[in-house]
Amino acid sequence: MISSLHRILIIARNTLTEAVRQKVLNVLLIFGLVLICSSVTVSQLATPDIDAAGLFSEQIKFVKDFGCGAIGLFGFFIALLSTALLIPQELDKRTIYTILAKPVRRAEFLLGKFVGVVLLLALSVALMSLAFAATLYWQESVGLAAVEANYAQMDLKHTPTAQSMHDHDAAQIIKQVRDPQLVEAVLLIFAKIVMTAAIGLLISTFATSWIFTIITTFMIYLIGHGESLARTFWLSHGAETTIWQSGLIGLIALLIPDMNSFTIVDEILAGNRVPWHDVLNLLCYANVYVIVLLAVSVVIFDYREI
Amino acid sequence: METSTVAAPPLAVETIGLTKRYPLTWKRKVLVALDGLNLQVKQGEVFGLLGPNGSGKSTTLKLLLGLIVATEGEARVFGLPPESLEARRRVGFLPENPYFYAFLNGDETLRFYGKLCGVTGDKLDKRIEELIDLVGLQNGRERPLRSYSKGMLQRIGLAQALIHDPDLLFLDEPTAGVDPLGSAQIRDLILKLKKMGKTVVFSSHLLEQVQEVADRVAIFSLGKKVLEGSLESLLTENQSTQVLIPAEMNPEQQERLRKFIGQTGVNESEIRFTRPHLSLEQLYLRTVQAQPDFVSKDSPRP
Amino acid sequence: MNGLPLNLRLRRAMLIALLLGLWAPVKIVWEQQIAREQDNLRYHGLVMNRQMRDELGQGLTIGILSGMRSVVADFIWLEVTTAWENQEWFRMGGLVNLCTSLQPRAPVFWDMGGWQLAWNASVGAERDVTQPNELRRLKAARFWIDKGLDVYKRGIENNPEYWRLWSDTGLLYQQRLKDYKNAAYYYQRASELPNAPVYLERFPAIMYGLAGDDQGAYEAWRALWEKLTPAQREMKEHWKEKIESNIRRLEQKLSVPKEKRVFPN
Ligand SMILES: Nc1ncnc2c1ncn2[C@@H]1O[C@H](COP(=O)(O)OP(=O)(O)O)[C@@H](O)[C@H]1O
Ligand SMILES: [Mg+2]
Repeated sequence: MISSLHRILIIARNTLTEAVRQKVLNVLLIFGLVLICSSVTVSQLATPDIDAAGLFSEQIKFVKDFGCGAIGLFGFFIALLSTALLIPQELDKRTIYTILAKPVRRAEFLLGKFVGVVLLLALSVALMSLAFAATLYWQESVGLAAVEANYAQMDLKHTPTAQSMHDHDAAQIIKQVRDPQLVEAVLLIFAKIVMTAAIGLLISTFATSWIFTIITTFMIYLIGHGESLARTFWLSHGAETTIWQSGLIGLIALLIPDMNSFTIVDEILAGNRVPWHDVLNLLCYANVYVIVLLAVSVVIFDYREI
Repeated sequence: METSTVAAPPLAVETIGLTKRYPLTWKRKVLVALDGLNLQVKQGEVFGLLGPNGSGKSTTLKLLLGLIVATEGEARVFGLPPESLEARRRVGFLPENPYFYAFLNGDETLRFYGKLCGVTGDKLDKRIEELIDLVGLQNGRERPLRSYSKGMLQRIGLAQALIHDPDLLFLDEPTAGVDPLGSAQIRDLILKLKKMGKTVVFSSHLLEQVQEVADRVAIFSLGKKVLEGSLESLLTENQSTQVLIPAEMNPEQQERLRKFIGQTGVNESEIRFTRPHLSLEQLYLRTVQAQPDFVSKDSPRP
Repeated sequence: MNGLPLNLRLRRAMLIALLLGLWAPVKIVWEQQIAREQDNLRYHGLVMNRQMRDELGQGLTIGILSGMRSVVADFIWLEVTTAWENQEWFRMGGLVNLCTSLQPRAPVFWDMGGWQLAWNASVGAERDVTQPNELRRLKAARFWIDKGLDVYKRGIENNPEYWRLWSDTGLLYQQRLKDYKNAAYYYQRASELPNAPVYLERFPAIMYGLAGDDQGAYEAWRALWEKLTPAQREMKEHWKEKIESNIRRLEQKLSVPKEKRVFPN
C-alpha cells in the first residue's frame, strides 16, 4: 500500500518535471499570465467617467471576468494538452515499456500520471491567480485614486454628505475588488479543469492518436455544457420521442458530466452571493466524478495491449 | 523418473504452447505472431532468440513480461506468472530501440527507475555508481538523454534494466543500430553478467553477434521456433578439424606437415592449407583500438 | 492493434458497464439536486433563444456554450461604449439589451445601460441638429429617457437587492423628469437596502421639499429622526444638525402644536 503510493508519487513527480520542461505548456502559461495582466488595458476601454460609472464596477467586472476567464481557458488548454500529449507520448516513444516492466502496477502508472497532471494544473492555476490578484490590486489603486481626485474637486466637500459619499465610494471599490468569493470562483474553475483532465485521460487510455483525444475531449466538454438541457428533457419527455432520440439524449444525460453547473462562477463574478455550501457540493460532485472517470480509465488501461 | 518432493530450482523461463494471434480486422484474417512456442531457459544461461524481422522475437519477450496477453498457452518466469509484481521484481528489461525521458540526465534516469523499484537512499547512490561504472557512462551522468548517442542509450538502458539487481534480463536487440565498438562493449557486458550468475535472454537478427556470447540459441521464422540447441553443437562441422599455426609457412614446410599428418591415417590429398581471415569487424576493432591517442567517444577524456 | 483474447474483452466490457451503471443514477440524482439548489438561488438566468443566437453569431455562441458567458458579455459591452462615442443610439440600445439578457444578474449592465440611454442618448437627442424643430427633439429625448427608465426597472426586477439601481432610478426621476414624488419613493427604497450609503436616507425628505410638499417633507424628516437611535444621531454621517434644523423649520412653518413637536423649544 505504502510502496504503491510511493510509486504513484514518483511517477507523478516525473510527469510534473516533464511538463515543466516542456515548451508548449510553458508558452501557454506565459500567454495566460500576459492576458490576465493585460486585462487592465482592456478595462480602460470601458466608460471612463467616474461620476456615472458606478465606481469602476465596469472596470472591476472586466478585470474579474478576464482574469477568471483566462485562468479557465488556459487551464483548460494545459489540461487538454498535458493529458493528450504526455500519455500517448509514453506509448509512442515506448518509455512505458521500461516502466511497466518494473514492479509497477498499471493502475499506479495511470494514477501517477494523473496526479502529475493535477499538480501541474494546480501550479498553473496558482501562478495565474497570483497574476490575477496583482491586476485586481492595481485596478483598486486606480479606482481609489480616482475617488480621491473626484472628492478634491467636489463643492461642499466638507459636508457630511460629501464626506460619507467619498468614504462609501472608496469602500465599495475595495469591497468589489477584495471579494472573498473569488476564492470560490478559482476553486470551481480548478475543479472544472481537473475534470477535463480526467476526461482526457480516459480518452487517451484507448485512443491511438493524441489528435483524437483532444478533439473528443473538447467535444465532451462542449456537450457537457448542454447536458443539463438533455437531462431535463430526458427526464420529462423521454417517453414522447422516438427510441433513437431518447436513447441519444439519455446517453448524454447518463454519461456526460454537467459542466453547466460550474457557470455559477458567472454569478460570483457578477457579485452575487453564492453560499459555500453550494460550492462545496459542486466540488464534491467534481471529485466523485473524477474518481469514477479514473476507475474506468484504470479498467481500460489494465487490459490494454502495449 | 525423479520422485523427490524437493522441487528442482525453477527454470528461469518456461513457456508451454505460447501463442499470440492478432486479428487483421480489415482482411478477416489472423496474423500469427507467435505459434505454439515451447521454451525452457535454465538459470545462469545466456539464451539467444534469433530470427529475421517479424519472426516473433519481440512478441515472445513482451509475453514474458506480461505487457501483452497470450491468446493460448502459458508462460512462467521463475515459476511465476509474468504479470505478477513478484516476477517483475526479478526481471530487468531493455526494450528494442529504447527511448527514455529525454529531459532527464543519466543520473536522474537511473534514480527514477531505481526509486520505482523501491531502491532508495545510500543503496541507490551506491547502485548508480556501480552501474555507471559497469556500462562505462561516466561522461553521461550530467548530460540530458536527448544528447545521447545510440550506443549510450543502449547502455543506459542496460543500466536501467539492472538497477534493482534482477536475476533475469530480457534484452531486445541490444546491439541493433550500434557501431561495432559499441556492440563489442555490449557483448562484453553480457559476458560479465553471465559471470555474475545472471540469466540473460536476448534477441537479435544479427547472427554474428550472437556467436561469442550465447550458450544456447533458438531460431525463429514466421512465429515458429525452427531450431534450438547449444552453439557448440549447432555450429561444429563434425566432418573436419582445423589446426591454427600462428606463423607463416612456405610450400616446403607445408609439404612436410602434410606428410606428417598423413602418418596418422588421414587422407593426405584432402588436407588444405589456407590463411585465416580476420572478420572485417575484428579488423575494425583492432585498427581503432591500436590508435595511440584512442579514447572511446563515450568515455571521459584524460 | 488489439490482440486481446475475447474472454478478457468481455470481462473488461462488463467491468466498465458495471461502473457506469452504478454511477449513472447517482449522477442524475445529484445533478438534479444541484440544479434545484441553483434554481432556488435564481441562477441560470440565461435562456438562449434563436434571436439571441443570431445577434451573437457563431463564435460568440460557442464562447457562451463553453462557459465564457461573462467574457462574451464584456466584449459586447465594449461595443456599447463605442456606440456611445459614435452617438449610435439605437445600436447602443440593442447592445444594452443583449448584455442584460446575457447576464441579467450583473447589475452593472442594467445600471450603466440605463444611464447610457436615459442620460447620454436623451441628451444627445436634445442636441440633435438634424431634427426640424424643438418639439421633435424633446419627443426624441423623452423616448430615450423612457427607454432608460425601462432598463432600470427591469434591472430592479432582476436584482431587487441592489441599492444602486433604485437610487439611480430616483436620480432619473429627480433630475430628468422632475418627478419628485417618484424620486422620493425610489430613494427611500434604495436607502433601506444593504450596503446603501447613509446619505440616501435624507434624500426622500429633500425630494418632498423640492416638490413643495411641506407636509410630506416634515413627515419624512420626522420619520428619519425617529428611526435613528440616540447613538446613531451622534454619528457624523447622519448629520443630526441638518435633520434637526429642517424639522424645526417645518414645525414652525406648518405651525405644529407644541405638544406634538419633536423640538418643542
Ligand atoms: N500490435 C500488433 N498488431 C498486429 N500485429 C503485430 C503487433 N505486434 C506485432 N505484430 C506482428 O507480429 C509479428 C511478430 O512481430 P515481432 O515479435 O515484433 O517480430 P521481431 O522478431 O522482429 O521482434 C510481426 O509480423 C508483426 O507485424
Ligand atoms: Mg523485434
